[in-house]
Amino acid sequence: MRDAIPVSGGHAAASETAPRRGAIRFVRRLWRKSSVAGLAVYALALGGALGLASADWATRGGYPFGGVQVGAWTAWPRAGAANADPYTRAVNARRGEIPLAVGEGLLLTAASDDDGQTLDAACTYRIGGGTPPARAWTITVAGRGPREAGRPILREGFTSTEILRSADGRFTVMLAPDVQPGNWLPSPRASGPVRLALRLYDTPAAASVGSLDRTSVPAITRLGCAS
Amino acid sequence: MRVVSLRFVYATLLGLVLAGIVHIAAVLAIPRLSETDAVSRARTSESLDHPQPIYTVATGDDPSPPEAWLPIPDPAVAVGVCAYDLTDGPMRVSARTGSLTLSLAAHARRGAFYAVTDQAAVRGALDLVILTRAQYDEALADDDENDPSRDVRIVAPDARGFVVVRVIAGLPSQRPAANAEIQAVSCTTDTTADDAPAGKDSTGKGTGR
Repeated sequence: MRDAIPVSGGHAAASETAPRRGAIRFVRRLWRKSSVAGLAVYALALGGALGLASADWATRGGYPFGGVQVGAWTAWPRAGAANADPYTRAVNARRGEIPLAVGEGLLLTAASDDDGQTLDAACTYRIGGGTPPARAWTITVAGRGPREAGRPILREGFTSTEILRSADGRFTVMLAPDVQPGNWLPSPRASGPVRLALRLYDTPAAASVGSLDRTSVPAITRLGCAS
Repeated sequence: MRVVSLRFVYATLLGLVLAGIVHIAAVLAIPRLSETDAVSRARTSESLDHPQPIYTVATGDDPSPPEAWLPIPDPAVAVGVCAYDLTDGPMRVSARTGSLTLSLAAHARRGAFYAVTDQAAVRGALDLVILTRAQYDEALADDDENDPSRDVRIVAPDARGFVVVRVIAGLPSQRPAANAEIQAVSCTTDTTADDAPAGKDSTGKGTGR
């Protein structure tokens, strides 16, 4: 609206003597008398500002589309493909990300547990089960934003080679702030939301994400929270 | 008054339609204009004959360097990039496979167009040649019928891009080896000016490294 002032300001210039009431009358007069040019400037300014702001919002942070929900996990099969959607390409370009190509592997992320509650660093979770067939995989945890200074990094994740398994080949990872027996994955921060990433390397699942179901990905169960 | 506010509503509607057009144009333009995308950032590795490490896994007391620009890297995977500019000639990537899982993926501005893992290696060596359509036709014409080239030839969609090398360290003790394996890959530019026999020589030299 402010951009319209220079265009139709000439009509209202005389009424600027009494500052406060003058301004109100000026705006009212502008409203009544707004010329086509003023409206055009208004429309252009609105379109430009809203368009750029929404484009910035849509390409900031994670991928807005292209995820395939598998249980609590979201698979991103097309993130690195040449036919990825324009939003995914824009997100990759802005972050400098090099996504896994379809022939390389598949990324799955989880921001909430099986009940749909957001993963919290103060809570204890059991992440257990099997993974889709893959030559190697890693399961990692990360908090949003930069790392807390002074907090030692004990462990950020497990690889398929080093993880302790039960006799049937399945595994259980405990994501907890306190020490746990077995595969303990320390919470990356004291509080706040955390995200899990499961990266499958050299996997046939990358080409057929539709074949994945709840039972083929690790289940994430909340056991309790420190108050 | 009524007429003016109606005009104002029309202007707002027009502004919203414009906002949609600007939104779509901006999203489509971001990959083209971005200076922080992987292709632009990998440009510094163009002059090297081995991958530039962009994420070295932490070994022992050495934490992984913070300058790595991958937003959320996998802490167990060492990553290196080789940028190419095909106007200088085809790019040859040669990797010797070891005990660690290695994968190569060729990216251009639009995304990955080729990926291969070390399971596709022939006699422990993985040779990738990335070329333009014209260079591919030239290479085909120069091929010796009795001694066909064993290179994997990939036609790139753009002249510029990069090859990313990933090596997975399954155990903490394998991490130094994973970092070293990234450095052991060679990325060289094939000279195109040579005639067929000389081209074969350079092929031999490339695989022998």
